[in-house]
Amino acid sequence: MAELAAVVGIGQTRYKTRRTDVSIAGLLREAVDRALADADVTFDDIDAVIIGKAPDMFEGVVMPESYLADALGAMGKPMLRVHTAGSVGGSTAIVAASHVQSGTFKRVLTVTFEKQSESNAMWALSTPQPFSVHLNAGAGGYFAPIIREYIRRSGAPGDIGIKVAVKDRRHGARNPLAHLQLPDITEQEVRDSMMLWDPLRFLEACPSSDGACAMVIAAEDSITGSKPPAWIRGVAMRSEPTMYAGREEVNPQAGRDCAADVYAQAGITNPRKDLDCAEIYVPFSWYEPMWLENLGFAPEGEGWKLTQEGATSLDAGGDIPWNCSGGVLCSNPIGASGMIRFAEAARQVRGDAGAHQVEGARLAMGHAYGGGAQFFAMWIVGADKG
Amino acid sequence: MAAAELLSQEFELGFTYTRSTGPVVGKFLTGLRDGKVYGVRGSDGRVLVPPAEYDPVTAAPLTDFVEVGQEGRLLSWCWVSEPREAHLLQQPFAWAMVQLDGADVPMIHCLEAPSAEAVTTGARVSISWADERQGFITDIRCFTLLQGAAS
Repeated sequence: MAELAAVVGIGQTRYKTRRTDVSIAGLLREAVDRALADADVTFDDIDAVIIGKAPDMFEGVVMPESYLADALGAMGKPMLRVHTAGSVGGSTAIVAASHVQSGTFKRVLTVTFEKQSESNAMWALSTPQPFSVHLNAGAGGYFAPIIREYIRRSGAPGDIGIKVAVKDRRHGARNPLAHLQLPDITEQEVRDSMMLWDPLRFLEACPSSDGACAMVIAAEDSITGSKPPAWIRGVAMRSEPTMYAGREEVNPQAGRDCAADVYAQAGITNPRKDLDCAEIYVPFSWYEPMWLENLGFAPEGEGWKLTQEGATSLDAGGDIPWNCSGGVLCSNPIGASGMIRFAEAARQVRGDAGAHQVEGARLAMGHAYGGGAQFFAMWIVGADKG
Repeated sequence: MAAAELLSQEFELGFTYTRSTGPVVGKFLTGLRDGKVYGVRGSDGRVLVPPAEYDPVTAAPLTDFVEVGQEGRLLSWCWVSEPREAHLLQQPFAWAMVQLDGADVPMIHCLEAPSAEAVTTGARVSISWADERQGFITDIRCFTLLQGAAS
């Protein structure tokens, strides 16, 4: 990549169960206006708009980008829609960053959203297809057997998922934008919540949220705003097929390759040591230990030990806090969830993460995955240019 | 060698959705329910009907609502001699571009007329409201011709 690029503006809505007061356009615009203000720019300063969301079938609006051009100030400008299932928030940010890094544009506005209250995500993910495996219980039903296999292989204690669920909700209580505000949640409460997809209980699953997240990404010679930029030190995406006989689903190859690529770009050799914090896509509790291993923060079979000893907890003073914002377990406007991870990583290295700030964070990772854990998008952002 | 049998199967899919109209389209539809038509003034001074939530030129949010007239001028039309079941009118009718008095742009709706020969571009037309209104565009049952008032 020829040009250095940075995040100079971030805008998010407050994540909520229902935003019936606004149209889809109005929801996006809220995040966009905040991102533009944060970057101290207007639509006139934006060269292109990159939008992402999860499958059109969720809200039932086909190609929503075509109706959103005016709300996003895209008149007379290039506009591009990105779609990679649940990882789309991350891949959209990467597409936006690439348009700046390539030298094509100086300043790009990127935004992602989901209005789950108007949509039908659970069943849109569970459509019976003739001659195909029938997935009949949404994302949780798909991932639960993979989690059970992880527990079998690693011998992890049964309460690791419960610990993640409590840890991320306590983190979320520090973040006023987080959908779930559960400052007093206990392990017992999680344990007693209804079993949805063994071993995932109700409180070990993400909520359904309405919300949008936007960023302004600028080239090195076009930095604006009063806050420090978050320099983009590496971006990577990888994909693999959803299912085939013999596929490694617990520790997907595409995730490992994607992490190796992004670490190499950012000069990271030991992610647990080199990074100050990470915002990782954990929609179901057990995906924390699984991704700790997939992303090389722990040897295979030992990710759960980091969770158990509090290494990923801000409240426990862990050395590598994960999801200080509360993560996907606190807020899940699906199409935006990946971008929120990327934006929250940027907030950390800008020193602008409020009560969930990791003291002195200089280097952070944003991560998203989607589909049947088959699409991966990752970036590393830093307070320094590198 | 016989051709291989290739399997196929019918597949139907249906979902329920909800939609929030927001403060601008919502105002327009609520107005229809109350028997009024609202437009919004854009950055270039034009009154847009139906109203746009964001300015089509500058992208600024639009909030300057203007109630427009219930009569207007027929700018263009297309006769439908064989209505389909889904059409609002089951007698032959015209798809019409109507610019309501006080609006600067036309909107599309149906025009009820005895025959194509009775319709002329530039004719004066008027809203015919539905008996029961509920906040849909179909609260306007159709437009009708105003007699002897072609402009």
